[in-house]
Amino acid sequence: MAREQLLIATLVELADSLVDNFDVIDVLTLLSDRCAEAIDVDAAGVMLSSPSGELQFIASSSESMRVLELFQLQSDEGPCVDCFRDGRAIVNHALAEPDDRWPRFTPLALAQGYKSVHCLPMRLRGRTIGALNLFRMVQGSLDDSDVIVAQGLADVATIAILQHRTSLDAQTLNGQLSIALHSRIIIEQAKGMVSQTTSTDMDGAFARLRTHARNHNEGLTNVARRVVDREIAVEDLDHTPEPKIRR
Amino acid sequence: MLCRGARSVPSPRLLAIFELLSQRERSAPHSGVLCAVAAQVTEQSGASIALLSRDDQLTSMCASNDLAASLIDMEIAAGEGPCTDACGSDGAVVESDLDRSRSPRWLGYAPRALSLGVRAVFAFPVRIGAVRLGAMALHRDVEGAMTDVQAANAYLMAAVIARAVLALQARAVSGSLATDLEREASFDFLVHQAAGMVAVQGSMTLGDALVTLRSHAYALTANLTDTAGRVVARELWYEPTGAVWRNAYGRTE
Repeated sequence: MAREQLLIATLVELADSLVDNFDVIDVLTLLSDRCAEAIDVDAAGVMLSSPSGELQFIASSSESMRVLELFQLQSDEGPCVDCFRDGRAIVNHALAEPDDRWPRFTPLALAQGYKSVHCLPMRLRGRTIGALNLFRMVQGSLDDSDVIVAQGLADVATIAILQHRTSLDAQTLNGQLSIALHSRIIIEQAKGMVSQTTSTDMDGAFARLRTHARNHNEGLTNVARRVVDREIAVEDLDHTPEPKIRR
Repeated sequence: MLCRGARSVPSPRLLAIFELLSQRERSAPHSGVLCAVAAQVTEQSGASIALLSRDDQLTSMCASNDLAASLIDMEIAAGEGPCTDACGSDGAVVESDLDRSRSPRWLGYAPRALSLGVRAVFAFPVRIGAVRLGAMALHRDVEGAMTDVQAANAYLMAAVIARAVLALQARAVSGSLATDLEREASFDFLVHQAAGMVAVQGSMTLGDALVTLRSHAYALTANLTDTAGRVVARELWYEPTGAVWRNAYGRTE
């Protein structure tokens, strides 16, 4: 699919999520996936601010522990923390160049094969609620159009998260973000149950929950909650189709 | 190794809560410290914690003062009120003026709370993902909303209480609750994944799985995240027959 078509399809998908069955983790996983596809990055992920003011990992294009490690570390230091704090994009930060900006993050990211990192703020009406992080394994920089595309997708996702709110006061925002974090935890709990029951890894477990949610037009968190409450048996979850070959 | 070295450090706001807990524990070591600190960090007149029992009944766990204790006891007797509502919801329950509420939602609770001298009540769910443990109630003797900082502290305190309840249920408190909580300030996703696996292994609820996992980490004097990592890596699993943990060498531990 050409990039323009992919972007249009993504905007339609995101707009669709604005109507009903809105699930914040689902929307943000979609955002991460589409960034990874549309702008040639190897991993994308979203961090949102928690009520305690620190960033927490919410969704990524890859559920592999290696990537999650990088996101979790960033609640402490790293491009996401800086981008969130300043509300400004960090683009084309080459990790291999000598730099003591992030002493814990940089060596770990390099060890996992990432050569450059980018981070875009998720902002609406003057408030930064989180950050979109993009990792690349190859040298070379993102061009301006890539950055515009990623920022545009991040903006749409931000609107989606805050859609139901006419006023953006700090307390309602904290409530929304607290719900998002609990949603993420519920999904992790359900992933553990699926993984144990079906002898798959966490990636496979996540894919299966997501497939079932999609097929039944149900929120991802809701499916996860029903699995945890044993309203749906893990065996009855729809199977994930064979993965598409990535271009 | 999973996530070793990538663990996040508690935020300054969280550290301040742990510091208050440990100060209060030194002066008066009893379970009331959680409520006392909750009232203190949110700057309210009083705080209480009510927990859900297995059959979804609320029972009071602690209160910061006599009025907070009477209020939660009255709510449980009335069967309605902020804690009751918060337990079934995902977000905070806010009633910043009990007297002037246009459509009083608690016909039995509100007049009794007012007669006790309470003007504003707030409740926050105490939960860990899908595991609903109960709620934290706050009250004030004057009407008015919480400030942004007070509300942010309330959300944070509810998260601290959830972990404290889990540690207490697992009897995994080694002297000081504050120190214990600080050591595991943030749960890694590994802990939640492992709890899901243990819930299936032991055919138990997720809440029981979290408690079981927590007690085992305590028994091993191991870190909760590390113990969870072994479960996720399938090096450690729970056997319901005999209620034992077995490791990759086939030995119980």
